[in-house]
Amino acid sequence: MEVLNIHNLSVQYGGKSILSDFNLLVGRGDKILIKGQSGVGKSTLLRQIMGFGMQSSGTIYLNGVLLDRDSIWDLRKRVAYVSQDTDIGEGQVSELLDEVFSFKANRDVFDRNKLDELLSYLSLPHEILKKEYMKLSGGEKQRITLVMALLSCKDIFLLDEVTAELDSILKKKVVDLFFGNPEWTVLAISHDREWEYLNTGDAGTGGIRVIDFSAEAN
Amino acid sequence: METYEIGLTGLLFSFLLLLIPVFISYHLRLKLISSTVEGVIRMILQLAFVGVFLTFLFELNSAGLNILWVFVMVFVASHTVLKNAELKTKYLFPMLIISMVVTNYSMLLYFNRFIVNLNDLFDARYLIPIAGMVLGNSLRANVVGMENFCTEIRRNENRYLFNLSMGAEKTEALLPYLRRSMRVAMKPTIANMATIGIVFIPGMMTGQILAGASPMVAIEYQIAIMLAIYVTTMVNLLLGILVLIHKGFDEYGMFKKEILRGA
Repeated sequence: MEVLNIHNLSVQYGGKSILSDFNLLVGRGDKILIKGQSGVGKSTLLRQIMGFGMQSSGTIYLNGVLLDRDSIWDLRKRVAYVSQDTDIGEGQVSELLDEVFSFKANRDVFDRNKLDELLSYLSLPHEILKKEYMKLSGGEKQRITLVMALLSCKDIFLLDEVTAELDSILKKKVVDLFFGNPEWTVLAISHDREWEYLNTGDAGTGGIRVIDFSAEAN
Repeated sequence: METYEIGLTGLLFSFLLLLIPVFISYHLRLKLISSTVEGVIRMILQLAFVGVFLTFLFELNSAGLNILWVFVMVFVASHTVLKNAELKTKYLFPMLIISMVVTNYSMLLYFNRFIVNLNDLFDARYLIPIAGMVLGNSLRANVVGMENFCTEIRRNENRYLFNLSMGAEKTEALLPYLRRSMRVAMKPTIANMATIGIVFIPGMMTGQILAGASPMVAIEYQIAIMLAIYVTTMVNLLLGILVLIHKGFDEYGMFKKEILRGA
């Protein structure tokens, strides 16, 4: 069964059509890269899947469940969404972590070893936990939001320009992390070339699918 | 001890003072003259009305009428909160009234029964002035807190959406906003409590002392009333924000901009 089934999705905002009759089928473990200039509805698509919606028509099925006002609360707990906006809160990084992992849905998933592993994989020093989040650089904030999403133990990821502020080596590491896991279903919006390489050696991954919004818009 | 009545001459002298702000406003072109005049006239009319009305209410001293009058006070207070916090009454008014009625009546009954130890719990001389003090203070905190909550949600919407995408329930995701608004709104009440007596002598104490009560009695009342105000303010504020959380978001958890005035 497919993880995600989007059927005839149309979104209008302020009288302007952002998406029209968009269709997409995503199977378990699929890796999808979404490209296109800004303003063609890439972020809107991910926001619609999260139910952060505007006026829209069409249907979205996630794990076979129709996304509506009743199911959305449960579906949000199954999907990890990382937006390009890294303004996620104030206070020390560890306080932000504590807040997120005090939510009922996450109470049992927090794993300190995994946190240490992720921090070192993404070249973040352990001391960063004691720093003020607002004072971190753009790239550090981006990596912290990724760490949080990864700690939440989900297997569907919606990533919106999450490597924009990282250097080339880190971009590659992030891509490896998400596209290298055969279990995970990933939809990533990015302009970075690093997302386009195919790790053909892996048995589990059948490569990535590229959706170019600029081409589809017309 | 006897209280000197101010009388008509005295009041005339107090109106004479108004020439000073009018003069300042005129010369600095503050454009405050018309609103000052309007404010003064409203104050006179309202106080004259309340003076007559309270005399009537105090003489009659009927429990039913007193309770009804407190309800009118709560009604006006809830309306003022929404108006000043730039919120539309349509969505929030009924629930806000219910929540304020419950907290304020409970506090008033507790105060009269256990603190003052009154025989007649609905005695107008206690019920109405204390309701006024408690409500007046809650009102300010609710305006600040509820307005701050909406402003923060709109300005930092991404933080809320981030929490939602991390699997938070609506209330969990809004908790940081609730905390911040409550802190901001409670600060003046706490500062008031901490400086009372030294920086300012509150109106209630002044009134009691002028009316001939000993300062010690006035201080006992002041302590009790400050605590009552603090507790009621915080509970009213919390409930006010909970009403916003309940009514201000759609089924998907998105903030309803239509609850804001001018939206």
